[in-house]
Amino acid sequence: MSSDIHSGLLFRSLYEPSAAFKELASAEVEVPSVFFKFSLWLVLLPPIFSLIGAANFGWRIGAEEPLMLDDQSLVLVSVGYFLVLIFGLFSTALISSWMASTYGASASLGKHLALITIVGAPLAIASIAHLFPDVLINVLVLIPTMIWSMYLLYKGIPVVLDTPPERGMLMASSLVGWLLVAAVSLLGISMGLWTAGVGPLLGV
Amino acid sequence: MDSTSQNTYHDTVVIRLIQFSVFWAVAAMLAGVWLSAELVWPTIDFGQSWLSFGRLRPLHTNGIVFGFGVSALMATAFYSVQRTSHTPLFLPKLAWFICYAWQVLVLLGGLSLLAGYTTAKEYAELEWPFDIAITILWVCFALVFFGTIANRKIKPIYISNWFYGALIIVIAMLHIVNNLAIPVSLGKSYSLYAGAQDALVQWWYGHNAVGFLLTGGFLGMLYYFLPKHAERPIWSYRLSIVAFWAFVYSYIWAGPHHLHYNSIPEWVQSLGMAMSIILLAPSWATMINGIMTVSTAWEKLRTDPALKFIVLSLAFYGLATFEGPMMSIRSVNVVSHFTDWTIGHVHSGALGWNAMITYGTFYFMVPRLVGRELYSTRLANIHFWLALAGTMLYIMAMWAAGVSQGLLWLSVDQIGELSFSFKDIMASMTPYYLLRLVAGIIFLSGTVLMGYNLLMTLKGQHAVKVNVPAVDPAYGVTA
Repeated sequence: MSSDIHSGLLFRSLYEPSAAFKELASAEVEVPSVFFKFSLWLVLLPPIFSLIGAANFGWRIGAEEPLMLDDQSLVLVSVGYFLVLIFGLFSTALISSWMASTYGASASLGKHLALITIVGAPLAIASIAHLFPDVLINVLVLIPTMIWSMYLLYKGIPVVLDTPPERGMLMASSLVGWLLVAAVSLLGISMGLWTAGVGPLLGV
Repeated sequence: MDSTSQNTYHDTVVIRLIQFSVFWAVAAMLAGVWLSAELVWPTIDFGQSWLSFGRLRPLHTNGIVFGFGVSALMATAFYSVQRTSHTPLFLPKLAWFICYAWQVLVLLGGLSLLAGYTTAKEYAELEWPFDIAITILWVCFALVFFGTIANRKIKPIYISNWFYGALIIVIAMLHIVNNLAIPVSLGKSYSLYAGAQDALVQWWYGHNAVGFLLTGGFLGMLYYFLPKHAERPIWSYRLSIVAFWAFVYSYIWAGPHHLHYNSIPEWVQSLGMAMSIILLAPSWATMINGIMTVSTAWEKLRTDPALKFIVLSLAFYGLATFEGPMMSIRSVNVVSHFTDWTIGHVHSGALGWNAMITYGTFYFMVPRLVGRELYSTRLANIHFWLALAGTMLYIMAMWAAGVSQGLLWLSVDQIGELSFSFKDIMASMTPYYLLRLVAGIIFLSGTVLMGYNLLMTLKGQHAVKVNVPAVDPAYGVTA
């Protein structure tokens, strides 16, 4: 058994996910090493892309004129985006390891964090679409990517966490339930913040 | 028609109701697909008033709720109440009458909507002659259902029957109160209530139709068929009872969240919001109960394609019952109200929860009812992925469209004037409506596949005669 994960693992997970999952399954992984080697850099991508895109072009949300935010709002939104992603990553990994005993899966938090990082990696990379801050372009790029990420989740859980595929399917579905709730919470929290005056200026 | 023997269950009527339910699912979803196409290409009503959005839309909603939904609920209620009461249906001829009369009612009601007869109350558009017919048929449904329970040979009343019972009683109450009206002709009536009062009664009805029909009724389905699928008892029976009473108590208050920032007292809005948030607890109690029941029965997934639908329906049930309370918070609602986010929310429930659990249940019931294997497991598996992809695409497209709309029509310039016109905002939504159209076609094609699969399973078959089993003396009514 190798003591740590190989630094090329994340890259391989993008084009050879099955092999990457097998490698991860046989590795001993620690939370700090996964986080600082992989997760942190990926989580930084979406806020940086959106900061650059929104500062230069403004969000096009369907109207003729793009929505330009002032610098202070932009930084606030980008930092918020980063913190939300960090929260999403760790909460999903924690929930996943909490669920593990129900589904007879491995409970090593490092493995869960690594798995969630691999599952989220395509989305983090596809967030390059934020450089073109047009809601429609982002929807068109991110929906197929999200479907690919869901496929990785269903495929990865039984291999990485060493549980039968059927039990893995149930666990993946439970996690999808959590992720859907998290996504809609993010929408709700954003609405609440906008209404309270953070971000775009609304007439409320 | 099955015999009226005292020792066998009446299952032919169940099969017929399933067939009608699938027919209405296809027809009403087709109307939905057409409607979403009209939002992209408005001229495809070809100048025909009956094809216009305003007339086709209530046909879509009524077809799904009353045609697909109620037929499925009647089928599953008749199937499960016999088996949980250890006795055949009470008044089986009346059950047959309801089965056919309900379909005639949905058909004629649908045609009347296309012809332009409407009360203009959402989900209660049918005019007064249909409302009276619904009431009579609903009372017949109650007679058959509660009569069977009264005749039961087993003392405890299983939890699914509590939910079906709540469905029957509360929907009767809501339907009668909301549709009280003064008729002026055969095709026109005026509501007994006026102004804000009318709106409050309407949304007390509207939200609880979602609550007790699309949630409560389908929870009855879940509580009977999930343990049957999994061959496990429900994870916590006590939790199911607590969740039932909490659900019944808190749902009925939540209606005013449909009228936030409207001309109803602010305290009523706050009360509706608070009760909507409380509602999360019983909703999630049931979700957890379902997930824990199925989590121990994972081996069944190898052989049972239908169980996947039920597993996923629980995930979407969790989403929809979380999203609803969240959208009832006024600072969220100010953005989400009157946008396509609401449409997305309704469909995460209707497609992800109602349709998926019904599909899973039909795939389970039909082979057992006729005593043969499902015609094609492969088609059922393809249907699963089509249903999942269609639902996800639908929700995502409507989230993006809804949030954009909310932002755009709340945007104001320096002097406080609206930055964008309604017309321009709607015109910019075309790409999302196109995505939603694709989602609808994907979901509909899955439903058509299921219709074909079930048709081939049923072809040339009759209902298997199932004898009423002996009751364990410890649980008998005389015990």
